[in-house]
Amino acid sequence: MERTSFDIVVVGGGAAGLRAAIAAAESDPDLTIALVSKVYPMRSHTVSAEGGTAAVLRDYDSFELHALDTIKGSDFLADQDAVEFFVARCPEEIIRLEHWGCPWSRDEDGRVSQRAFGGMSVKRTVYAADKVGFHILHTLFQTSMKYDRIHRFDEYFVTSLIVDAGACTGVVALNLRGGSMVAIQGKATILATGGCGRVYEFTTNGFIKTGDGMALAYRAGVPLKDMEMVQFHPTCLPGTGILITEAARGEGGYLINKDGERYMQRYLPGKMELGPRDILSRAMVQEMKEGRAFEGPYGLYLGLDLRHLGAKKINERIPMVRELAEKYMGLDPVHEPIPVRPGQHYIMGGVSTNLKGETTLPGLYAVGETACVSINGANRLGSNSLSECLVFGAACGHAAVEFAKRRSTYPRGAAAREALKREEARVFDGLLGRERGKETVAGIRIEMQQLMERDVGIFREESALSDACGMLGKLRDRFASVGLADKDRVFNTELTAVLELDFMLDITMTIAHSARNRHESRGAHSRTDFPQRDDANYLKHTLAFQTDGPPRIDYVPVTITKWQPVERKY
Amino acid sequence: MTGREYPWKRRPGWWLRNRRYLGFQLREAGGVVCALYGLVLLNMLIQLREGESAYTAFLDLLRTPPVLYLNLVLFALVVWHALTWFMLIGKAQPIQFTRQPLPWKVVFGVNVLLWLGVSGAVVYLIFGGI
Amino acid sequence: MVESEVVFRVKRYRPESGGRPTFQEYTIPYRSDMVVLDGLNYIKDHVDPTLTFRWSCRMGICGSCGADVNGQPRLTCGTYIRDVHKGAVTVEPLSNFPILKDLVVDFDDFLNKLASVTPYIVRKDWGDLTKEYVQYPEDVEAYRQQSLCINCMLCYAACPVFGSSPEFVGPAASALALRYNRDTRDQGADARLARLNTKTGIWECTFVGECSVVCPKDVDPAAAIQTLKFLATMRHMRRLLMPGASSR
Ligand SMILES: Cc1cc2nc3c(=O)[nH]c(=O)nc-3n(C[C@H](O)[C@H](O)[C@H](O)COP(=O)(O)OP(=O)(O)OC[C@H]3O[C@@H](n4cnc5c(N)ncnc54)[C@H](O)[C@@H]3O)c2cc1C
Repeated sequence: MERTSFDIVVVGGGAAGLRAAIAAAESDPDLTIALVSKVYPMRSHTVSAEGGTAAVLRDYDSFELHALDTIKGSDFLADQDAVEFFVARCPEEIIRLEHWGCPWSRDEDGRVSQRAFGGMSVKRTVYAADKVGFHILHTLFQTSMKYDRIHRFDEYFVTSLIVDAGACTGVVALNLRGGSMVAIQGKATILATGGCGRVYEFTTNGFIKTGDGMALAYRAGVPLKDMEMVQFHPTCLPGTGILITEAARGEGGYLINKDGERYMQRYLPGKMELGPRDILSRAMVQEMKEGRAFEGPYGLYLGLDLRHLGAKKINERIPMVRELAEKYMGLDPVHEPIPVRPGQHYIMGGVSTNLKGETTLPGLYAVGETACVSINGANRLGSNSLSECLVFGAACGHAAVEFAKRRSTYPRGAAAREALKREEARVFDGLLGRERGKETVAGIRIEMQQLMERDVGIFREESALSDACGMLGKLRDRFASVGLADKDRVFNTELTAVLELDFMLDITMTIAHSARNRHESRGAHSRTDFPQRDDANYLKHTLAFQTDGPPRIDYVPVTITKWQPVERKY
Repeated sequence: MTGREYPWKRRPGWWLRNRRYLGFQLREAGGVVCALYGLVLLNMLIQLREGESAYTAFLDLLRTPPVLYLNLVLFALVVWHALTWFMLIGKAQPIQFTRQPLPWKVVFGVNVLLWLGVSGAVVYLIFGGI
Repeated sequence: MVESEVVFRVKRYRPESGGRPTFQEYTIPYRSDMVVLDGLNYIKDHVDPTLTFRWSCRMGICGSCGADVNGQPRLTCGTYIRDVHKGAVTVEPLSNFPILKDLVVDFDDFLNKLASVTPYIVRKDWGDLTKEYVQYPEDVEAYRQQSLCINCMLCYAACPVFGSSPEFVGPAASALALRYNRDTRDQGADARLARLNTKTGIWECTFVGECSVVCPKDVDPAAAIQTLKFLATMRHMRRLLMPGASSR
């Protein structure tokens, strides 16, 4: 019999989940840890991060400066206590990863190199060429193999949380290969399930980024914070949405329009191409509207010009950019500008937590892109996310251990058995039993993605948002009649697609409603009908709670420590 | 009801799947040929000990067309075996003078030259020139 | 931009129905910029939702979507149909692995092999945890190539030795072992060589070289294994000649 009761259950094998699992394993050799992931950990989407991860490592830099950049980047929606906590712990996390073997790029003196990144006022971003996420993920995954007490459940898809007597006591998961459901109990449960980019049509995110953890928490009564804050990255390949890292601009790349002009000089002369992403993406849309964009088979685009960097620098610093451009656009950036356009990239919002990753549900923790502490506020700075996964992954792992140790006994088996039965009925008898009808999972997913793209995109306004809220409600109704063609239990990816779509429909609701309720423009949330930031009314976090109908929206204040909100000027 | 995995079994003709597999099999076959040819030479020594008539009979046998053709095939295989190994040497044990190891083509070329040189020397020693 | 049509021949295996794998044909719309994965997704979304395969990043880095395409192991997300199209695109699960369902294979065994080569930094003494270990650019260069392995399993699918003796540690795990052995921060080389010097280790490799041909990240596991053979031999000689000497 496989073990199913643990001290800590970690859901998610990306940077955040692995870091939390290792932190828990290191803090006490007697603890048992379950690492549950719907894909093998090294497939997690952390793998695709390219550009780098931020930390103060040099004399020219300071925690003050990193904090200020982050807060300013967030358009003052970040909690400043969280940011201070965060910046102070980035260096040790980067060094720890270095000790674990991460192949950081090095300067001639043998120290870890740092590069420029958007919105960071000095060179602060540590990198391993432009495969940073890949190296971080594999280093963490391989290091996690050191610990026998980390028990992996690879390709187990979590479908719900077990809640017993007002606390979370584990998860119910679908064992994809076995085609069965299991209850995996834990004294503490950590959600590290990543973002939800796949609710949009055009995204840099992989297929697996469907926001499952956010929906799991939401359904258990935990609020989702700042879900309207969705980041659009300016440089994605038209057609596929594959990301060209910000490091390309950090290393000196230009953005040009069809006249060959570095158009950022008209929008942000002080920072040019190294401005924060929200501003760059809006400038791009503006260029498109004013007819200065190129036109291609996949619509309008602008140019990312790296030609002046030369082959040597490109090969050394951003080899993957060249690889991706050659492979997916059929052009060599040494000789031609790369076509780019903005696309969904990251969500600042997520499961509302405090500094330790605690949610409002005792025993439930959240960390990584799925969580919202919030250090990112209304706009995340590039390279803060991986650091966030590491810093808060560790913090959350430790906090969960403390919590688990206070609980002397394992959770009640009865609650788990009940939850298991309920989920078996819902998933196997309910969803899997549905006959195929007019509605298909792909059909509804595509409609949802197009709707989000159109109505809840870079620029937003009331009528589109209220339409979106209504349409999403209708999609939810239609979802009830989605049937399945695949009736097998083993590795049924149609079934997992249905479960994911179910999650995504909850999440899109929270995004659209949160966006509709914020009557201002702040960071990534840009309302054409409310173009100004409104600190008097909206210097606060949105909270979305589940109800029987649309989410209930509430607000909590932003924590300000030292930096009073001022106009965000670069 | 849970499913069964479908086990993997290597197909007998796997090495016909692409040219490189075929090349590899031929290289391995070349190795076997070398060994077999050793036996032939051994047999020659045995015949030599048996006396002159046995030895000439054996040499006559070697001169018959089928055996000559066979020798041609075996020779080709041995050459292939040698050449493919030369191609691999640069990879098997990278030789490094500067920061970059020598490209395999260079190692290959040097080995081929050495081989030709040594073969030439042997021919010279035995036949006193071609 | 639909230009024409393309035929996909996909190998199907349904574990719950039993039987042997069979081929199924799908004719789908074709654009010249389609990769094989786009075709599979088109089938999944619009023709046959029961078709089962793994995929995620669609940018050649997560390693999920490997399959045999027209007989050769490839990442389906990085293989343009126009480059392999020979009348039809034949997609089969990766060779040398048991099939779980359709294109999904069981490679759990690889993770055990990876764990067996101690794929992490080993040190007796970790030193000052607030300072980085000094490593020069050329030190990183020494193991960079092997560190690029994305665990996509194409090399195992290409390796006939693994195909006939599945206990062989195999290309990727060996390359990763070398990656750590070449890392100046590591002190675990001896144990890794000892592991690789066993019956299931590197000596099973007959240097077919196909692993390096199919590797999408240019890791060159074949060369890595030969280097390891050399290192393992040196280790063996050292132990023969200097039995008492403590190894690094
Ligand atoms: C293309 C790209 C480039 C980026 N570049 C950078 C960069 O340069 N710098 C930076 O700081 N940030 C970057 N980011 C952002 C950053 O990579 C992510 O925010 C971060 O990696 C998220 O990590 P995570 O651990 O939270 O989630 P993920 O890595 O997404 O992991 C989620 C895990 O949860 C598991 N999971 C999800 N749902 C379930 C379920 N239902 N059941 C079981 N398991 C489940 C998955 O299997 C997976 O293991 C980039 C993002 C993208 C998309």
